[in-house]
This record gives sequence, structure tokens and C-alpha cells, in this order.
Amino acid sequence: MKQILSLNVNGDDYQIAAYPSQTLLDVLRDDLRLTGTKRSCGTGTCGMCTVIIDKKAVLSCLTLAVECEGKTITTIEGISNPDGTLHPIQKSFVENGAVQCGFCSPGIIMTAKALLDKNPSPDEKDIKEALAGTICRCTGHFKTVEAVQKAVPNIHKESGNDSEEK
Amino acid sequence: MLRLPKFKHLKPASLKETLDAFDENCQKAQVLAGGTDLLVNMKHCLYKPDVIISLNSLSELSYITEAPDGSIQIGAGTNLTDLTENPLILKKVPALKEAASAVASWHIRNMATLGGNLCLNTRCWYFNQSVSWRKTREICYRLGGNLCHALPGSKRCHAINSSDTAPMLMALDAVLVLKKKGHERQLPIQQFYRDNGAAPNMLDPGELLTEIQLPKTVNTGKTAFIKMSKRKGIDFAAGTLAACLKKNSNDKVFLRLVLGSMHSAPLFLKKAEQVINESGLTKGSIEAAATSARTELGTLTNLFTSAGYKRELVPALVKRALTSIMNQK
Repeated sequence: MKQILSLNVNGDDYQIAAYPSQTLLDVLRDDLRLTGTKRSCGTGTCGMCTVIIDKKAVLSCLTLAVECEGKTITTIEGISNPDGTLHPIQKSFVENGAVQCGFCSPGIIMTAKALLDKNPSPDEKDIKEALAGTICRCTGHFKTVEAVQKAVPNIHKESGNDSEEK
Repeated sequence: MLRLPKFKHLKPASLKETLDAFDENCQKAQVLAGGTDLLVNMKHCLYKPDVIISLNSLSELSYITEAPDGSIQIGAGTNLTDLTENPLILKKVPALKEAASAVASWHIRNMATLGGNLCLNTRCWYFNQSVSWRKTREICYRLGGNLCHALPGSKRCHAINSSDTAPMLMALDAVLVLKKKGHERQLPIQQFYRDNGAAPNMLDPGELLTEIQLPKTVNTGKTAFIKMSKRKGIDFAAGTLAACLKKNSNDKVFLRLVLGSMHSAPLFLKKAEQVINESGLTKGSIEAAATSARTELGTLTNLFTSAGYKRELVPALVKRALTSIMNQK
């Protein structure tokens, strides 16, 4: 039987009816039409469906939607700036050629965001360890690591601006 | 696309309610903690529980505490990332941090729990496959059949225990607290696993692993942990080795050496332990221990690499782990 769920995604509250067997990925893509989060292996090995739940990068294909009530969910749609400009990590991916077909980008960018939110100055090893759970089938791993490294100073700059404004 | 089969979802608010619900539904229910193993297996229809009992809202299963006598208690619902970052674990049980950080990927550690890793279901080339793949073969011991595809002619299931933390906790002499409705027992982790892939642990129906206890002497030994897997970032291990060396009061060494991911239960390498216990830790004795480890592996079959590779891998792991212990101050 379907249950009524209250989910908070990217700051918006949604009420939807879902089966307990529906994963968060199913609900995000099929019910909320937030298709930026990609469906790929479905078994937790590729990292394409990564979203951030309560500050942790997790796999939405292995998270039941019913388990997410009362939690804060952020998807790739929710990380750009309020004025619509790209998040520094997204910008860095574009500028450094870390995107080929783009299918893996949302998962990798969300992973990188969770890492940088937690550790604002990661070294190369930290970045590689965090991104190890994601796969780029076009072979872009060097560029993705490089893009995350280059995003670090820009994030500091933006968060610095934020605090000045406040 | 892989979809989950339909089930009823229960979210008990307390451990007592959970045990009641598990007791009532024990034949048809599975408990869900991180879900990174259970949900994958359910997507492949390896099991279809009617009821899922969620442990995720039970904060009372997620804790790391130190008793006044120096022993450490870890709730089975403790998240693996939280475990690897806990100051108490980093200071007193760095070996457990090593083992927990070796589990799968960062994403999966962000979801998975220590209890879940210890109760991980066994894996097999012939069982952990899609429905259509499995349909082409007869059903095996795992599903109530009467044969093992991994080792034809065998009297039991040869699926592999792939837990990374289990060998380390066995080397550290951990004790597990198992609870079911109206009953609680403690079991040394060395007695928790059975060398039978179809019934891999000693949990009774309706019983739940709730706590992992580490003895007060946990930080008195030198430890090493090595995991060998194809893709370091995420794969299940082709072999893991956990070692813990302690000295007793008259300065004699006492070694625990546990091999994981090669059999249905983690295996104590008793002959190799004995070599070191008798002659101490020297370059020569490490060579001798590595050679004798090769002779006590029993049947090697199933998962990731050939038996021949594993027979070469074990002595190499033993040598590396013991050398690392010898070089520690």
C-alpha cells in the first residue's frame, strides 16, 4: 500500500504517495521529476545516484524513500546559487574539461560537494578516496580530480563573500 | 532496471518494539540497517521478505562509549564513517579504523553500519547473480537445494564471508551482544561465524546483534590489517588479513592472525600463529609463518580469483602484516 511521505528536497517540502519499496532515486526521478540525479547500476557500485542527506553523500538507489522523512535531501538541482549561476564545483568541471558525456557528473559533483562541505581543504588523496566510489565510463578520472582540486580556492572565495554580505 | 520486490515497512521507535516485531515476524522479516547489502540482494530477488524492519530511527543502537575499566562498547547501528572518525576509536583502536575504512566506498560507508558489516550475508559466484542468470542452473544449498555450484560434490554451501571488520574484531577478541525478545546473550566473535555459507552465523530467528564490546586490553597490542581487492575503491576483498600481537607478563609473544574473505567464516591461521608464538617475531620466523600459513587453507574456491592465486596471496599477506608489526615501535 502506498504511504504519504513528507520529504524535504533542496529546501522545498513535498508530499507524495509512494510504496515502501520505492527508493529515493525512484521518487526523485519519477515522482518529483528531479532527473538530474542519474539512475545507473542500481547496486551501489557506480555512485551516479549520489545525493546529500543530512550532510552525507549517500546512494539514492539504495535508500528507501520512506526512510528519508524528516531528513534534509540535496540533489544536483539544489546546489547552484540562488541567482541561477553554477556552483563553483560545477564551474570548475566545465572550465577544466571534466565533463565528456556528462552522465556521471551529477554523482561526482555531489560527492565532491559533500567532501568540500566537510573538509574545505582536502589533499589529492582525500579527493581520490571520496571519488573512488564513482565511475566515469568515458575515462575522465584525472580531470575530475583536477577539477575538484581547482574548485577549492573558488569555494573559499565564495564563502568569504557570503560572510561579508552577512 | 532493478526494482525492489514489494514488502511491508515497519519503523519501530525503540529497541524493545523492534525485538517484539522481529519475534512476531521472524520467519518472513529482514532487518534493514544501512541497506547497502540487503537492498542489493533484494533487487536481485535473492530473498523476498514480506516485512522489512527498519533500524534506522533507533538512535539507541548508535554509540561508542568507554567504560571506566577501559573496555569499549560500540552500538551495532554505528555508522562506519562515524566509526572511522571517532576520536576514541582513532586513539585506542586504530586497527578497527583501518578495517572499517577498507569497507567498500565512501558513499557506502556513509550508509552502512558496523553491525551490518558483521552480519553481511555470504557471497558466491553462482548465487549473487541476476534472476535470469540463476534460472539457468539448479537451485543450490542457499535456496534449499542439494548441491553447491562453487564446489560440486560438497556437502555444504561454500559462499564466502566478505566482511572486512570481522577478521579484525576476531583478532581483537571482541564480544558480541545478541538480543531477542526476553533474552540477551554474549558471544565471543570467534564463535559467531559458522563455516557454512548457507547458515553463516549463530543468530537465532528473531535475534539481533546490538553491541560490539572490545576488551580493556584492546590497545595493548600491535596490529596490522591488509585488504587485497581488484578495485581498491569499492570491491569486496579477494583476501584480508588481520593481525594482533600481544606480549604476556613474562615477555612471550602471543599472536592472532585471521584470514578473511576466503572461506565461509574468517579463519584463524593457527600454524602460522604457533610459529611466531614459539620463536618470536624475526625475519626468519616471518618466512616460516608465511610458508606454514599456505598449508592450512583447506579448500579454496569461489569469488574473484583462482585458488592458485589465493594460495600465493596468503603467504604474501602474512609476510606483509607481520613485517609491518615488526617495524612498529
